[in-house]
Amino acid sequence: MAILTVDNLKKDYGVIKALKGVSFSVPTGCVFGILGPNGSGKTTLLGIIMNVLKATSGTYKLFDEAATDAHRKKIGTLLETPNFYHYLSAVQNLKITAAIKGLGEEDIDNVLQTVDLLQRKHSPFSSYSLGMKQRLAIGAALLGNPDVLVFDEPTNGLDPVGIAEIRSLIKTLSSKGKTIIMASHLLDEVEKVCTHVAILKKGDLLAFGSVKEVFEQNDIVQVEATDRNALKSLLMQLNNYNSLEEINGIIEIGYNAGQANLTAINKFCFDNGIVLSHLQLKKSNFESKFLELTN
Amino acid sequence: MLNLLRIEWLKIKNYTAFKVLSIFFVIGVVLTNYIVYEVNKNIVGNSPGGLMLSSFNPYNFDNTWQSTSYATGFLLILPAMLIIILITNEYTFRTNRQNIIDGWSRNEFITVKLLLALIFAVVSTMIVFLTAFSFGLLSGTSLAWNGFSHVGFFFLKSLSYNVFAVLVSVLVKKTGFAIGVYFIYLGAENILSQILDFWSIKLKADHTADLGSLGDYLPMNASDGLLTFPDNPLKSFTKGVLPTDYTYIVLSFAIAYLLLFVWWSRAKYLKVDL
Repeated sequence: MAILTVDNLKKDYGVIKALKGVSFSVPTGCVFGILGPNGSGKTTLLGIIMNVLKATSGTYKLFDEAATDAHRKKIGTLLETPNFYHYLSAVQNLKITAAIKGLGEEDIDNVLQTVDLLQRKHSPFSSYSLGMKQRLAIGAALLGNPDVLVFDEPTNGLDPVGIAEIRSLIKTLSSKGKTIIMASHLLDEVEKVCTHVAILKKGDLLAFGSVKEVFEQNDIVQVEATDRNALKSLLMQLNNYNSLEEINGIIEIGYNAGQANLTAINKFCFDNGIVLSHLQLKKSNFESKFLELTN
Repeated sequence: MLNLLRIEWLKIKNYTAFKVLSIFFVIGVVLTNYIVYEVNKNIVGNSPGGLMLSSFNPYNFDNTWQSTSYATGFLLILPAMLIIILITNEYTFRTNRQNIIDGWSRNEFITVKLLLALIFAVVSTMIVFLTAFSFGLLSGTSLAWNGFSHVGFFFLKSLSYNVFAVLVSVLVKKTGFAIGVYFIYLGAENILSQILDFWSIKLKADHTADLGSLGDYLPMNASDGLLTFPDNPLKSFTKGVLPTDYTYIVLSFAIAYLLLFVWWSRAKYLKVDL
């Protein structure tokens, strides 16, 4: 079953096209990262799914059904900013959230404990720091122990300890079988907690799939020798490589992940009368892959 | 429906502005009417024509229904302001988005605001009823219901003010700006209505047409125009001899405008990005 299915979703703000026909689906039980630089359309996408924005065209489904208000009641959502009544305390605010979701009030102290706000539960929201506000919003999303959670930039405004806590909370939730949809512009965050990813850039979906598929790490072998041309023609006799090119005076041979064998290359060259002056294995890392995808 | 109102109550019951404006309103109603009551008593007591006027007291039964409704009408900006603050707060706090995200439909959100406008109108009308009743008794007359229709007109005016406040809030979104727009609109409509009234008196004098006072057909003036102070027998001033069904025409306009405000607020809220 898919928790969320997005089909050719488009959103225009006047001449600006915030989403240009995005389609993907979120399988049950995954931690799904929507990754993209600022202004790539992440929040717009989640806003449409949460019915606070109207799509220009396209459709979406929740739990394999046409989306209804009842579906949103079963999803815990933090969208963009912590939105609470400033003059009310954490408890008073969560009572409103619980009532809208059709829940009782018995869960309120639990979630405040989880996000470490129990001590301040009677202080007005306006007296909270940015990080506390963010934690309260995460607490509100946890009310009623929903099976699906949507977090838009969940670690915004948190200090390093807070960030680590939220990431471990997300992992704990995931291990309990919850589906988590998380938007982030932090590659590192997605790499650390997500199992699936969709990459957005300026409203276009660039890639989507499991993190392993999307960020598959190819092997690149760099070689150098005094006689570069002789080396190059010799290397062409090698088999099972994907690419062979000269970049900044260094020859790079591309292989599928785990296919490069440095010893074999070295021996092959030496046996054919060329002594290498440089031989190095370079993995295309997460970040360069991300930059490659978004540039 | 009751559940929606219960949630709305959770939002406002601990809000200081709500308590303060409510208390201001109740005190204001009693005080305003008391001042009118006292002033009138002194005028009647001290004027040379006092003897002739002694039969006229705006707070006798039946007059009290009309007088209290008219005098209290000026205070209806207080509940309207409260409504503007409560709705624009939701935009400021972005809780109007959060309520939808948490599972309310947009229709539920705007409906409960319109219900709030209705409840404020009902409560205001109850306060007017009690005030009119008390001042009637205070005047030493016995209960009578003639002119009670003015309490109904007051309800309509109150509802118009409140629902118009909902509309302005939904259109403008920013608290200070919305209150400004509300007052400027009321002022502008008043000036326009004076001009129209002047013109309609001229039309009547020229024997061209008799349309009553044209200013009363404007959106907020329609419900205003239904409320007047009881005629002092010595004062021959009236707005001219009006067509007999004038009240019904203005009443229909007032109701039509009210429905327009309701429709417009809903249509706006249901379709825009929040």
